Order: sequence, then C-alpha cells, then structure tokens
Amino acid sequence: MTTDSALSQALHQHYARNQKWGFTWALWTAVLWGAWYVPGTALWSEHPYVDIAADQQSLRLTATAVMTWIHAITVFIFLLIWNGVLGKVKDYGRTMARFSKISKWYALASLCGGPLAIFGSYMAMGFVGPVFAAISSLFYPVIGAIIAKLWYQEKISKRAAIGMCIIIFGGMIIYGPSLFGEMDASNPNAWLGYLGGIMSAIGWGSEGAVAGRAMDVSDPDVGIHCRFSFEILFWGMLILPALGLWTDLPVKALIIDTLTHGKAMLWIVLAAACHAYCYTAFYKSFSLIGVGRGEAIGNLYAVFALIFIAAFTLQIPQWYFILGLLLTVLGSFVMFSESAESVAQLRDHHSGVHE
Amino acid sequence: MKLHHKGYLLTELSQAHQLWDDTLITQTLLAYNESGAYRENTLRIALDELAAAGLINRVEQKLETNADNKTILRFKYQLSDFGRTRMLDTGLLQNA
Repeated sequence: MTTDSALSQALHQHYARNQKWGFTWALWTAVLWGAWYVPGTALWSEHPYVDIAADQQSLRLTATAVMTWIHAITVFIFLLIWNGVLGKVKDYGRTMARFSKISKWYALASLCGGPLAIFGSYMAMGFVGPVFAAISSLFYPVIGAIIAKLWYQEKISKRAAIGMCIIIFGGMIIYGPSLFGEMDASNPNAWLGYLGGIMSAIGWGSEGAVAGRAMDVSDPDVGIHCRFSFEILFWGMLILPALGLWTDLPVKALIIDTLTHGKAMLWIVLAAACHAYCYTAFYKSFSLIGVGRGEAIGNLYAVFALIFIAAFTLQIPQWYFILGLLLTVLGSFVMFSESAESVAQLRDHHSGVHE
Repeated sequence: MKLHHKGYLLTELSQAHQLWDDTLITQTLLAYNESGAYRENTLRIALDELAAAGLINRVEQKLETNADNKTILRFKYQLSDFGRTRMLDTGLLQNA
C-alpha cells in the first residue's frame, strides 16, 4: 500500500469512527428517552400526585412544577457522578464561571428544555396521556434543524432531511391510531395537555440549537451539567418561590410529600437516571453529527417508548407498530448512509476535510 | 481561574499560526498538570469536535508510528476565520 493510499484510508476510518460514535450516542438518547416515559408516567400514580383530581388545574400544574424541580436536582446528582468519574468537574466550574459569554447559552437552553419541554411533557402525560406526550414531541427535530440552519448555518444534506422525514412519519404511524383511544372529549382540561405537547416540541427543538451555540466552544458532558444547574435555579429560586409567595398553593407540602414518599422518589430517581444519561448522550451526539441529525435519531425514542410501555403494561403493540418501526429504522439508515466526510464538517465553513 | 479545556485549545491555536495535535496536547496537559492516555484521548476528541463545528481546520495530516509500534494519524490544526469569530463572541479573544 502506498503512503498516500494508507493516509487516505486512515482519514476515512477516522471520520467514519467519529460518525459512528455520533450516531451511537444519538441512539442511546433514543433508548433512554423511551425508557423515561415509564417512570415519568408511573409517578402520576403515586402519592401525592395520584390524590390530585383531574379538575384541579392549578394544583396539578404546581405538582408538575414540583416534580420537574426534584427531577432536575436528581439529574444533577447523576451528572455529578458522571463528570466525577470522567474527571471533568473542574472543567464544569471553569465553564459555569464564564456566564456572560458562554454558560448563559446553557441557561437559555435550560429554560427551553426545562420549564418549556420537560414541564410541557409532564403536562401532556398528566392531562392527556403518555401516548400523546410521546407523539407531540416527534416534530422537535424539524424545529431544531431549522433554527440551527438559520442561526449558525448547520448543514442539512438532502439525505439527512429525507431520513428525518421518514423517522417522523414512522413515529406518527406508531402513535397516531392509539391517540384516538387516549383522547377524551369529555375532559375539559385536555387543552392543557395539548398545550404541554406543543411546549415540549418547541422546547426540545430550540434547546438543541441554543445549547449548540455554547457547545462549539465547551465540552458536551460539562454543558449538560451546566444546563441542569440552571434549570434547578430557575425552578428553585424563581418559579416555586413565586408560586409559594403569591398564591395559596401548597408548594411546600407537595415538596415534603414527594420527598417523604418512597415510591414517588423511586420513580423520580429512575426517571432522572434515564434522563441524565439520555441528555448526556444527546449533547455528545450534537458535537459529532450536528443538532439536526442528533435530534432526528433521538426521535427513535418513539419506538423504544412503546417497547418499554408494552413491556411494563404487558400490552402487545398493534400491527401498525411494525410498519412504523420499519420506517423509523429505514430513516435512520438513510441518515447513517451519508458519507463520513460529509458529517465530519457540520457547518458551511471551509474545513480542510478531504472529501 | 484557568480557561476550560476547549477554550485553552482555541487560545493556543489563536496564538500560533498552525500546530500539530501532539504539540498542542502536550502543551495543554502541561498547563493543567494532567497526564495519561485517557486525558490525551479526551483532548483529541475535543479537537475532533472543534474541527466538526468548523472552528479549527485540519491543514495537514500524516501517519506516524508511536513507541508501541502502533500507526497513529496526526493532524496539524489552524484556527479558522469562523473560529476566530466564535472566540470573539464568547470572550475567548478580545478585539484588537
């Protein structure tokens, strides 16, 4: 083998390895995100949440805020363990300290992902149901890809766009028919669930693009830790104290009730374990394959959520699940079949990558 | 307070015209008083991420054989114009 051909082969292998890792992280996002719907939904069946009647809108929303805050604190602890093992805790401190120029983007991403997306998703689960919550988020990669394209010229190739559309279509086939069974026209508060669904799609789509703005100059493992630190502060220093001070809603009692009920805490810990590492994988995939591709492969959560829900409820999925599954897998392969060299350069700037 | 790792890598590249990855990594490990293959690989991944995002360009590459007789792909990096802009945006570089 000549030196030139050995070098070009080594280069191709290098880009292909990065592409493979990017897609592997995105796939882990999907698996853990799918698993998150099980404890996330089960939490609503435990005290103190199960005692709140469906027509007690403001109490249910406050309960959602409390569970999202405790969930964020638990995620933070899991991320502290992760970054402790990786030896990145010091880098976390150094990144957090540069608030005005870098970590402020993680603060904004936490607003998109926390009070907008995770809160919206818990609302959708609580006011309509888990199937609706899962389907409503399916469109978030389109929002993320459009923002990343317009804001910082992230490249979305034709192949990546086609793959993204096939995955979304597959997800709709998986969930669409069940949605009719879950929708209850007699529920006067269902609109809050629908609003929550829209919030989750917009929130997660914009979060990826906003976080990408800081992640190009900082570490993804550290970035996700910063993002959850800010989410804890938003809920714990602003939203919950404001609710406690200016309303007569039982914020303190809900917090104490959640913390002192083992089963509620067990579901929160399980949900947080899924979400902490799902989000870590999510952010790591962005830096290797871009926001658009990372979010689209992450959309395979639709398949995994149904598999996990079926495994825990012993309800066998319908025939159309297989069709949706085939489509989402096909969409993933269409995206993965892009050349490694094309994925090695994510933005429309000169790279020096040899194609 | 020291810069975070990616910030340091970008700053070093902004001060040198071009740098080979092993030189850059040795400088960084020395600056942070770190060592070992894990730390070295973490910095290589950081350089891959910076290149994927278009902040730095790979201007040259070569194959080298290391002490363990293993062939290693080396890159020479240069800060891109886009990288310079992002460094200005994020306060890693000050306007002259």
